Amino acid sequence: MESIRGRLTLWYATALILSIAIFAVVLYVARRSDTYQDLDRRIQSEADLTAGILAESYRARGTLVENDTAGRPQLTPDVAAVLEVVPDYLLVTARDGRLLFASPDARALTFGEFEQLNAITRPPPVAQSHTPGRFHVSPNGPTLHYIVRAVPDAGDQFGAILAGADTKSAELRLEQLLLTILIAFFVGVVPAILVGGWLAARALEPVDRMITEVREITDGRSLHRRLAVPMARDELGRLAETLNQMMTRLERSFAALRRFTADASHELKTPLTVVRAGVERAITRPGVPQETLAPLEETLHEVNRMTELLDSLLTLARADEGRADLHREPVDLRAIIEEAGETGELLAEHAGVGIDIRLPPQPLVVPVDRSRMRQLALNLIENAVKYTPRGGQVSVELAGDNGRAVFTVADTGIGIAPGDLPHVFDRFWRADSARTRTSERAGTGLGLAICKWIAEAHGGTIEVQSRPGRGTTFTVGLPRSETPSS
Amino acid sequence: MKILVIEDDRTVGEYVRRGLDEAGYHVDLVGDGDEGLRRASGKGASYDMMVLDLRLPRMSGIDVLRTLRDRGVGLPVLVLTAQDSVDFKVQALRMGADDYVTKPFAFEELLARVEALGRRPKSISPPTLKVNGLVLDTGSREVSRDGKRIELTPKEYAVLEYLMRHQGRVMSRTLITEYAWDYHFDPGTNIVDVVITRLRKKIDQAKEPKLIHTVRGVGYVVRT
Repeated sequence: MESIRGRLTLWYATALILSIAIFAVVLYVARRSDTYQDLDRRIQSEADLTAGILAESYRARGTLVENDTAGRPQLTPDVAAVLEVVPDYLLVTARDGRLLFASPDARALTFGEFEQLNAITRPPPVAQSHTPGRFHVSPNGPTLHYIVRAVPDAGDQFGAILAGADTKSAELRLEQLLLTILIAFFVGVVPAILVGGWLAARALEPVDRMITEVREITDGRSLHRRLAVPMARDELGRLAETLNQMMTRLERSFAALRRFTADASHELKTPLTVVRAGVERAITRPGVPQETLAPLEETLHEVNRMTELLDSLLTLARADEGRADLHREPVDLRAIIEEAGETGELLAEHAGVGIDIRLPPQPLVVPVDRSRMRQLALNLIENAVKYTPRGGQVSVELAGDNGRAVFTVADTGIGIAPGDLPHVFDRFWRADSARTRTSERAGTGLGLAICKWIAEAHGGTIEVQSRPGRGTTFTVGLPRSETPSS
Repeated sequence: MKILVIEDDRTVGEYVRRGLDEAGYHVDLVGDGDEGLRRASGKGASYDMMVLDLRLPRMSGIDVLRTLRDRGVGLPVLVLTAQDSVDFKVQALRMGADDYVTKPFAFEELLARVEALGRRPKSISPPTLKVNGLVLDTGSREVSRDGKRIELTPKEYAVLEYLMRHQGRVMSRTLITEYAWDYHFDPGTNIVDVVITRLRKKIDQAKEPKLIHTVRGVGYVVRT
C-alpha cells in the first residue's frame, strides 16, 4: 500500500473481519451443539415415552402382541394407535428381532432403507442400556440421530425400541443461522471499512495539504513563506511547527549561500584579477626572455583554470538556489553547433579521431542562452573526443522534430560502466575506468553537471546511453518554444 | 581623452590605469564612490568616460551610478563586476551603465570595450594587417599571401588575426585561446597547436620566409 491511509484502512479492516469471524464461529459452534443436544433430548424422551406406554399397557392388559391375518406378530391395534401419534422414526421389535411396530415416518422409507434402520435394533439391548448413535440411511435417505433402548417393564415380549429423528430440521436451522451471520457480516463490515477509510483520510488530509504546501515553498523561490499552523497542539500542529523551524533554517542557509556566492565572487575574483593583470602585463611586454615567459604562460593558464572552476561552482550554487540565470533569445542552433563543431574538428584532429557533424538544412531557431548553449555543445563534444581512443569516431547531430530540437553527440569511445551511468552528471564525479589519457589533464569534473543544469534550465532534458568499450551517446532535447525553467 | 577610474582595490586600479595610460588615454584613479561622484559631476568635470567598480566601500557602485544619472550626467560608464549573473548585469545596465566587464578580465577585453564606448577611431588597429607578403583584411576577413587568396576557417582566421595584430610580439597559448574561443574555454588540449599546424600548411608551406614561429613552452609569434 502506497499511503498511510491505505495501510490504516487495511489494518482496521483486517482486525474488524477477524474479530467478527471469531465471534461468528463461536456462536455457530455453540448453537450447533445446542441444537443437536435438543434433538437428542427429544428422541430420548420419545423412546422413554414409548417404553412407558408399553409398560403401562402391559400392566393393564398383559399380552400386547398378537398375530395379524398373515400370521406375523404385531402390536395390538389400540396400543399401536396410541404410538401412531409419536413423531419421527419409531420402531418396536420383539425379543426374536421381528418388527412389531413402525411409525408413519419409518413406513415411508423404501424397503432397503427400512431394513438398514431395522438392522440397528439387532441384537436387542440388555436391561437399562441406552445406545445413542448417528446413522445415515443410504443412499438417499435421511441422516438420523437415534437411540435404542430395551423395554424391561413389559414382560419379555419386546426386544428394543428405536427412536430416531431426522437431522434435517436441525441442519436447516443452522443453515439459517449461517446465512444470518453472513448477511450481518456484509451489511456491517463493508460500511464499517468504508467509514474507517474515510476517517483515516480525514485524519490524514492535513498531512496531504502540508505536503503540497511544503513542495510549493521549497521549490527555491518562496522560502520566505511558512505553513499555516493549526490551532490545536496535536501531532499535526507540532509537525507544522517543526517544518516551519526547518524552513527557517533552510532559508537562513540559502541566504548565507547567496551571500557567500556574492562574497566569493568578489573576494576570490579580485585577487585573481590582480594576479592575472600582473601576469598579462609581464607576458605581453616586449623583450622578455623565453625562460621567463614559459612560467608566466603556465601561471596565466592556471589562473584561467581557476577562474573557470570558480565560475562553474558559482553557477551551480546559483542553480541550487533555483535561480535559472539565463539570457534567452531566439538563436539558430545550427550556428552554435557549427562553431562548436569546428572546435571539435580541431580537437579530433589532434586526438586522431574522426568526426562528422550533421546539421539540418533548415534554420532551427530556439530561444536559448547563446553562451550557455555554446558551453553545453563544447563540453559534450570535447568529452566525446577526450574519451575516444585514436582511430575512433565522434558523430555530432542536430535535428528538429515536432516541438523539440535534439542535439546528439555519439562516440565510439571507452564507454561508461552501467554502475557508473547514474553518476555521470554528479559534481566532481569521475569514473576510475574513464580517466583521461595519461598525457592529458583531467577537467574540473563539473562539466557534465553544468551541462545537465543548462539543459534543464532551458526546460529540456539530457540523457546518456553507454556500453563499455562500445561508446557513449549523449542526447539533449530542448523545447522549441520557451517553457518556464525549473 | 580623459577617463575616471573608480576602483577601491589599488592593484586592480593601478593595472587599469597603467594599461589605459599605455594605450594613450589620460586616466585618473580614485578609491571610493563619494570622491568619484564629486569629481565626475562637480563643476569643471571634464571626463569623457568612467570605469566603475560595482563593489566599493561606503557608497556602492550602483548608488554612484544612480546618483550620477539622477544628476543628469550622461557620461559613458563601463562597469567592472565580479558577479557574472545575468540579473546583476541587467540591474547595472538598467541603472544606466553602458557596458560591463566581468572580473577577472583580459586587459584586451577592457580596452576593446573602452574603445567601443569612446567611439574612438581604431587607429591602433588598421583595417588591413600586413606581415611581409601576408595580408589580412579585417573588414572583408580575407587573407592572402603574395597576392594569392588563402581560405581560412573562422578559428584559423581568429588566431591569425590575433597574432598579426600583435606582430613581432610573442603571444602565449592561453591568450590566443582566450581570444579565439570563449573567454573561459579550456579544452585541456593544446588546440592552438592544431590551428597553428593548419595555418602553417596554408601560409608557410613551401614559402620563404616562414612567418609563424614557435616559442617553446609559451606560444607563437608572427614576424618575418
